Amino acid sequence: MTKPVVHVDHVEKIFGRKSENSFKALDGVSFDIYPGEFVGIMGPSGAGKTTLLNVVSTLDQATSGKIEIAGRDITMMKQNELADFRSAELGFIFQDFNLLENLTIYENIALPLSLQGVASKNIRPLVHQVADKLGIKSILGKYPVAVSGGQKQRAAAARALVHEPAIILADEPTGALDSKNARSLMETMEHLNRHHSVSIMLVTHDPLSASYCERILFIQDGTIYKEIRRTEDQAAFHQQILNVLAEFSSLDQA
Amino acid sequence: MLWKLLTSSMRKMWKDYIVLLFGLTVSIAIFYMFQTLAQNKSFLEANALITSIVFVFHVGTFILAMVTIFYIFYATSFILTLRQKELGMYMTLGAKKGKVTQMMFFETLLIGFISLIIGILAGIGLSQLTARMLMNQLNFSGEGFEAFYSSSLITTVIFYAILFMLTAFVNALKIASKSVLDLVRAPQQADPVMRKGWKIFAGTVISIILIGVGYYVMINMGTFLHFGVIAAAITITFGTYFFFMSLLPFIIRRLKSIRTLNDKGLNSFTFAQLQFRISQLTKVLGTVTMLVALGLGAMAASLSFYHNIEIQTSLMYANDVAVYQPTEEQLQEFKNWDFQEKNDYTYKVSDEGVYFLKDDLLNNPPFIQQFTGNMEELTRTVRVSDPLPLDEYSDTAETEERMISDDWATALRSELLATSRIFGDRTIYIVDETKFSAIDAEIETVTVGRLENFTEKSVALEKIDEHNQEVSLAYTGSIPDMTGSKYENYTSLKAIANGTIFMGLFLGIAFLMMMASVLMFKLLSSATADTSRYNMLRKIGVRRSKLSASIYKELFLIFLFPGLLGFVHVIVGMEMFSIILIEPYTKIWIPILLFLVIYLTYYLLTVQMYKRIVLPKKS
Repeated sequence: MTKPVVHVDHVEKIFGRKSENSFKALDGVSFDIYPGEFVGIMGPSGAGKTTLLNVVSTLDQATSGKIEIAGRDITMMKQNELADFRSAELGFIFQDFNLLENLTIYENIALPLSLQGVASKNIRPLVHQVADKLGIKSILGKYPVAVSGGQKQRAAAARALVHEPAIILADEPTGALDSKNARSLMETMEHLNRHHSVSIMLVTHDPLSASYCERILFIQDGTIYKEIRRTEDQAAFHQQILNVLAEFSSLDQA
Repeated sequence: MLWKLLTSSMRKMWKDYIVLLFGLTVSIAIFYMFQTLAQNKSFLEANALITSIVFVFHVGTFILAMVTIFYIFYATSFILTLRQKELGMYMTLGAKKGKVTQMMFFETLLIGFISLIIGILAGIGLSQLTARMLMNQLNFSGEGFEAFYSSSLITTVIFYAILFMLTAFVNALKIASKSVLDLVRAPQQADPVMRKGWKIFAGTVISIILIGVGYYVMINMGTFLHFGVIAAAITITFGTYFFFMSLLPFIIRRLKSIRTLNDKGLNSFTFAQLQFRISQLTKVLGTVTMLVALGLGAMAASLSFYHNIEIQTSLMYANDVAVYQPTEEQLQEFKNWDFQEKNDYTYKVSDEGVYFLKDDLLNNPPFIQQFTGNMEELTRTVRVSDPLPLDEYSDTAETEERMISDDWATALRSELLATSRIFGDRTIYIVDETKFSAIDAEIETVTVGRLENFTEKSVALEKIDEHNQEVSLAYTGSIPDMTGSKYENYTSLKAIANGTIFMGLFLGIAFLMMMASVLMFKLLSSATADTSRYNMLRKIGVRRSKLSASIYKELFLIFLFPGLLGFVHVIVGMEMFSIILIEPYTKIWIPILLFLVIYLTYYLLTVQMYKRIVLPKKS
């Protein structure tokens, strides 16, 4: 069997000082993501989704446990190593786009490559290639303020993809989009996953977006509560997700 | 209700408002500081070496006012950026445009009013502090200087009151002209001003012409005089702003268009940071340039006056010391002195006259400073070579041929100090051996010397002046105020120059302080927006060291351009003083070095401060 691209092993994250007011956001979470997988993380607000993403994305440090990405243990890395690691192995897509508004779309997409010291003459074809894949070639010369929300999110996706990271981490990427744009973005991500074998970890609370995944981990109170796998078509999977979420709400009421 | 909202959110954003108040306050304080000198006519006229000093300060006021206007308009537009989103939100909730516009107007005015009060108090304090400090250092009494000067106060208040009224109007107009949507979305809107090619070209040509004319006038100040000072002030100030408005966006755009450069590391981000707010930046850089020019110029000019004194006295005296009837001690001491030349001349004094022995003068003719009648050189050091064929010459002779010639008269008066100060109303004679020995008086000598280094012997030279005064007491029955020595001239010129040096340093400090505050304001006012950008970069994996390098680079460019242009302004501008100073560029490296050290320190400090604000905290 192939090695997992993300290996999370008994990860705990405790906020606040040990004795007083401490809060366990993650309580012994373990899971693997294999190359080419499209995994969703779902759960109610406060369940620990964002904390999990922050820990996996090296933006925050786990209190205990082990996280390996592309075979490297990120819990042992120093600040600078982590920065280099992020720029080489991770691609981010955030809810609020996070494009630099003072750079053109082209420059935004090119940034991860520039940072890795890719020669200027090699940057251009790579940017055009990825922009082509995401259908945003025509807006490369524009500034973020001049393009639509959907285009911005595609640009953000292009920036996350351009340096061919080990995994893409997406945090509510459809959160700020209307349903048409949201669907189109999710279809693009599915396409990237199917045809270009891009590994994706998607954090969302939107069942429709989640239905594009192959596998979904539900988190509740800092632990993995349930895991479901897509076996039939998307509509059925969507229904399955809604059912699990319904269990959550009944749990809440109990 | 709206007012309540307004004041409460002002309290919420107090940090931003403190930054704004600080920026405005310093500007007001410095303007006032400048006015305490500029309007104190009697102090200026009593203490300056320049006859038209009041006029110079008028021109200075003009330049400072121009710079201040640009700066205040820029600074108050910051209120707009702080506020517009919120005002837009009120409008979406149903606030009337008129009301919102009115709020903007009064808010700008209110902030202006508060900063005016604090600024004036700070100005009085700063003037007092700086003046005391400098007076102590320079040993300058500075009588007539007043840190609290009412007419300066009135000028400052009127000037800023008008300025704040205007800016309040402009801010209100800007709000009134924007749609609700523009206001609400304002913070995300970028303004990468893409000027058209021909506009850049035209602007560049205009700036070069203006600065060129200004430089030409300053270099030829002798011909243009007062008119020239005014012309140079106007052309250079506007030329500088034009330069930054047209050329700087052009340079940055050029840099950005070099793909290999732009694609390297964080360069695209660094250049974008500059390009992004270029329209604000041009005003800041223009202002900083002018303040650098004024600050460095004031310091360089005043120090140049100081160094000029030594040159000036050397133009009047070829020898540095003359001692009448030197004592044994003095003669012993002279053996250790570094003389270029030392001559003894014998003389006798009777009731009617002073008689110098012709042979002594002819054997060792002294050096004198001979006037050339040429403005470039003024005087030249020569040895007296006029022959003395007759047996007697005097300064009161009835025939032309027995009169002491001009060169010999200069030698006796300036080098030997044989004047009425020492000898009273006796006639001065040059006589031959026969006549000399016939005079019934003691033979005396006067020792005249030319030193290697004049200033290092100042203590001894002062004693020699006192000694000569005692000699004079014996001849005239009273102690003269002065003996007319080179040293006396040097010290009295220095005392006068102290006033000018005081003014120069006072203004230099003031302008450099304002420069610091302008740059600081630029930085702090954009910090909030920058923080999120740096945070984002950190997320996608940019090393801290790279972020830090980008900040160094960005600020280096911001410091470099105004520093360079301001420096060139000063170098050319110093030529202006060649009409009153002999060598305006003497030891100019001292103020330049001083400035470089201050500027560099300030650059490094700014980088550190900025890093602390915008870079994500180390975990």
